Amino acid sequence: MPDVVHESVFNLQFPFTRTLGSTLSTFFSALAQGQIIGVRTGGRVIAPPLEYDPDTAADSGTDYVKVGPKGTVSAWTWVPEPTHLHTIKNPFAFAFITLDGADTAMIHLVDAGSESAMKPGMRVEATFKPVDERVGRIDDILAFVPAADPAPSAGAGESWDAPAEPEISTQDSYCDLVYVDNTSASTLLWMESLLAGKLVGQKCPVCSRTFVGPRGMCCVDAIELDETNVVDVPDRGVITNFTVITPVQYPGQLETEPFARCSILLDGTDAVMAQQSILDIPADQVRVGMHVAAVWVPEAERDVSEIGNRGWGSGGDCISGWRHTGQPDEPEENYLERMM
Amino acid sequence: MARTENDIAIVGFSQSPMVRRSQKTETEMMLPVVQSAIASVGLTKNDIGFTVSGSCDYLSGQAFSFVSNVDAYGAWPPINESHVEMDGAWALYEAFVRLLQGDIDTAVAAGVGKNSNSDPSTLFTIEMDPYYLTPIGADPWSMAALQARAYLDSGKATERDFAEVVARNRANAKSNPHAQLSGDFDIDELLAADYVRNPLRRHDLPPTTDGCAAIVLARGKKAYDLCERPAWITGIDHRIEAHLPTMRADITKSVSTALAAQGAGVGNAPIDVAEIYAPFSFQELIIREALGLDASTEINPSGGALAANPVMVSGLIRMGEAATQIMKNGKRRTLAHATSGPCLQQNLVCVLEGDE
Repeated sequence: MPDVVHESVFNLQFPFTRTLGSTLSTFFSALAQGQIIGVRTGGRVIAPPLEYDPDTAADSGTDYVKVGPKGTVSAWTWVPEPTHLHTIKNPFAFAFITLDGADTAMIHLVDAGSESAMKPGMRVEATFKPVDERVGRIDDILAFVPAADPAPSAGAGESWDAPAEPEISTQDSYCDLVYVDNTSASTLLWMESLLAGKLVGQKCPVCSRTFVGPRGMCCVDAIELDETNVVDVPDRGVITNFTVITPVQYPGQLETEPFARCSILLDGTDAVMAQQSILDIPADQVRVGMHVAAVWVPEAERDVSEIGNRGWGSGGDCISGWRHTGQPDEPEENYLERMM
Repeated sequence: MARTENDIAIVGFSQSPMVRRSQKTETEMMLPVVQSAIASVGLTKNDIGFTVSGSCDYLSGQAFSFVSNVDAYGAWPPINESHVEMDGAWALYEAFVRLLQGDIDTAVAAGVGKNSNSDPSTLFTIEMDPYYLTPIGADPWSMAALQARAYLDSGKATERDFAEVVARNRANAKSNPHAQLSGDFDIDELLAADYVRNPLRRHDLPPTTDGCAAIVLARGKKAYDLCERPAWITGIDHRIEAHLPTMRADITKSVSTALAAQGAGVGNAPIDVAEIYAPFSFQELIIREALGLDASTEINPSGGALAANPVMVSGLIRMGEAATQIMKNGKRRTLAHATSGPCLQQNLVCVLEGDE
């Protein structure tokens, strides 16, 4: 029998696209051309620009101004061990950099080689990705580096003639987070029972409700339940409710044809297993009142690695689904007052 | 001052052990804490008029974990329930406002954070400005360090001052049975450590903590029914600054804290004890200045967030600790502060008073 998993690593990844609005579209379109701009609002130049004045919430307007590419560092900190989130992999500084022509600072990377090279007041200069690698995102600026010539940036403070329709109006982002979840005691009980080919629940001593699988508590009486409250429950029951899902092909969706997900009231209990799949029957023939039995995966092939704290009652790779027993259906009206 | 039916007090408080790694889910962490807070004032779950919790799905990495967490309330028959994707201190603010409607007289505010499932030092990069900061991996340690550097450059403090904040909080935490980190630390030894993000060392950063806390609130006469010495909320206010720290006029000051303190009436009378939620050591100095506290105010007898920092709970714990000073320790007037967002973006100040 395989071991239960006491910690599971979960990588949350999703791509998404942001719309930028007129001010940020203008900024990122200019950035992709290698030009950093700010906006003059409230008597000062904000760079990078915002669509509103942070002091007054007034519209920042369209008085765009060229800033940089050189600027002056005020505060800085050193990142000795960059992580996967950082855009350069060697040690670097984050810094407040007031670009020439701007009155507010920008936060960006300074690739200075060593911490000892960092000084307040140091002059730095933006280095850009090659033109064909720019996408109109803030990391089109690779980093700032110590300026070879500290003289003011040519053209800084001059007006930027923004096109009426900025070239770039959306931005692709990607979320990539790693979680290490530890399996709770109640989930471990469930994993062990599935590997042994049986279903268990926890029965509340106050209200006598049975929860399948164990969830460590009675959510009605708000009391904790533990291994002393574990009861065996049958792996047969009646479909009380179902839905037929027409799959949309999002990443991770393996189904291609309409499929049913059913709530199953286990025989002789008030415990329901939700979101169960039915084998061998087309989705349009699933009925409330059908008798079904769990189909267990052969013992040697059972696997609980996909079971975590994220969903109670999942059969993991231990129950392949539920199959009609052939018994006559129970009357549908017996299940009318149930939500599940 | 005589209390009226419009006055609202903290009457009960419970918190879990604060640990680096809990073996429980968020919901399992919450249930005993919420129910013990309710039991501590002699009530049961069905007596509570309104419940509200603060948590963040991104911490545990479970979508709709806040819905699962409703199970901790025993939500059958159905209850009045709300949730904020904020520290539980803001949940308490919502409960306070809800009680002001006058039709209910009890409420529970809870905060829960299973922080250990993720790495908060990288996770909160997605809390930053999505256009200008998240894509360059502007992590919360780096952002705090930039603020710390600006604070040092202002001449208002030294790195030794930062270390003294740490040593004092962790020494205070020795008498807090819930603390995760406590003990006596030598300032020179602390200062000998390497920087994690110059000028911040490991001890200047908050620990990663799993924990939960719950507070019972009551209105008017009900407060006296439930608690011998209620901690009356005489002022509560919260203010927000620009999200991008570089758009704030001066990040070595906390303008929002000063405004919230003014709104909450901090300066109307002396404060005996202040519980300040400063995740990073130096931020305690910034907040103290903004609150206008003098040397007569005892700061963080609990050890503060440097002793335990369950994100989504730390601010609510400050409220519970400040209330306990009145309910159990006979203090007259205390203060709780909570913060959220990069570089002290949002700040909440709550003034609590016991009867004469």
